[in-house]
Amino acid sequence: MKIFASLARGSLIAYTALFFAFIYIPLVLIAVYSFNSNPINMMTWTGFTTEWYAQVLGFKTTVSENALYIESTDQLVQAVWNSLMIAASTTTIATVLGTAIAIALYRFDFFGRRFYRVVMFMPMLMPDIVLGIALLIFFVNAGVNLGLKTIIIGQCTFLISYVFIVVSARLAGMDRTLEHASADLGAYEWTTFRKVVFPQLLPGIVGGALLAFIISMDDLVITYFIAGVDVTTLPMFIFAMLRRGIKPEINAIAVMMLTFSFVVASLGLYLRSRQK
Amino acid sequence: MSSIAFRRRAQLGLLLGPVSLFLAIFFLGPLAIMIVTSFLAPGLYGGVEWTWYPHNYGRILGFADPMFEDFDPVYIAIFLRSLKIAALTVVATLLVCYPAAFCISRLSERWKNFCLFLITLPFFTSLIVRLFIWVLILRQTGLVNAVLLNTGVVARPLELIYTDGAIVLGMVYVFIPFMFMPVYASVEKLDWTLVRASLDLGAGPIRTFLRIILPLTAPGIAGGAVIVFIPALGNFVVPAILGGAKVMMLGNLIEQQFLAARNWPFGSALAMMVMSVMLVLLFAYVIVSGRRGIDAATGR
Repeated sequence: MKIFASLARGSLIAYTALFFAFIYIPLVLIAVYSFNSNPINMMTWTGFTTEWYAQVLGFKTTVSENALYIESTDQLVQAVWNSLMIAASTTTIATVLGTAIAIALYRFDFFGRRFYRVVMFMPMLMPDIVLGIALLIFFVNAGVNLGLKTIIIGQCTFLISYVFIVVSARLAGMDRTLEHASADLGAYEWTTFRKVVFPQLLPGIVGGALLAFIISMDDLVITYFIAGVDVTTLPMFIFAMLRRGIKPEINAIAVMMLTFSFVVASLGLYLRSRQK
Repeated sequence: MSSIAFRRRAQLGLLLGPVSLFLAIFFLGPLAIMIVTSFLAPGLYGGVEWTWYPHNYGRILGFADPMFEDFDPVYIAIFLRSLKIAALTVVATLLVCYPAAFCISRLSERWKNFCLFLITLPFFTSLIVRLFIWVLILRQTGLVNAVLLNTGVVARPLELIYTDGAIVLGMVYVFIPFMFMPVYASVEKLDWTLVRASLDLGAGPIRTFLRIILPLTAPGIAGGAVIVFIPALGNFVVPAILGGAKVMMLGNLIEQQFLAARNWPFGSALAMMVMSVMLVLLFAYVIVSGRRGIDAATGR
């Protein structure tokens, strides 16, 4: 019996190791092969090169013309810039609105509170293609020109939900005795909020904002439908590249994006784990 | 008293007002217009005619407008295939996550947190990049085929990409965190004394699993299944990248109706199908798990 138990234990551990291998080996592979000099067959190693990175970043390279997407660097820079602008705007709006509703639902008891809580989850659960086309029909019917503005509004609808959830979780875990102490000691309501509640709430707000920023930067489907013809974001740019055929430059872009989001996410998760 | 009550009212209004207005206009409004559009007739050149036209649904379900278009079972086939792929994704994701959740829940606090960090981390990285990697691995000149050819296991490259299997694989890869977190939450809460009691009383390991462990972790499994199934059903990025032109799912069909065929009412009707499945699932989840389930899910 003991042998069976340890055998079961061993196979469970092996399974879990495989589980992590499944998640991370593809990521490691792309990082390694992004330095592969083979211009056609990206998974056959022919030598080490940093040319693809140089090409993407706009340096002069000796890469032959047919291994490249034409026009890439300028458009890439424009796409990254668009994505950053959109993410900055949506994060600001969604954080303010999401935090406001989280506080309202936590602090006030009113008719329809439970209904509100369910509604706040809807935008997040709604399949993104449904929300994307609904927004498209709406904007076209309302006569709004598709572009940056519509992308920002469209993304905010579901980003509010994410901020709401993160901030609500923080509110639920907060210690209210400090607030009561502050009130007992004669502080005005606003002072209590500013000096006691807000500092405690801040990690939740920052966490929610960071999550909103990352999701906004990565959103493809909803943005794809309401972007119009002039505006391209980073995920849309890569999606279009993939549809045209795969060339080694994408590897380099992909690895840079992975690195960026790993750094941001690790930082965020680290900060959160320290605050607990 | 009344002035305090008034102030509380004003505060509440200030906090609730802007969000309510925003979501009413830009979330509920668009959904309402989409529902209306799905019952309107498609115009000749891509517009919409304001007449009652239930045949958009007829084209999917079998009562098409005989003047305009015949009923084509291809749409119901795509609908069923999407349901099948989404269901397979749920099962596969569960099989991948469930055993790992048990293993991780038994680790020390430090390792546990590290493992959870490793599982959530990919969620924050670009979805499209994570899918693209699988193109490199699965395609004809990809890694798997290169290895198989070089080792002589196969003589000709296998067709791995642009299949249902590739789509399920891609979905499993991106939805792992969605399934793992709810499953893990219920596995971690599992009371092991009950398991021990069952074993001591003579129930075998299989019986103990079926009668004790499975029912106790069922809420997590149900939650994970719902939040994986919903985005999998209407997904259009995964089939677009890993399914090529060969494997059509509801998501691609909807995209096609909007951006290529320009039949918005029909596209809206298809989107309504996706949304109804979502609502049915959520409703079933609420009925089964009850009020406590909602409160647990919405964080209270």
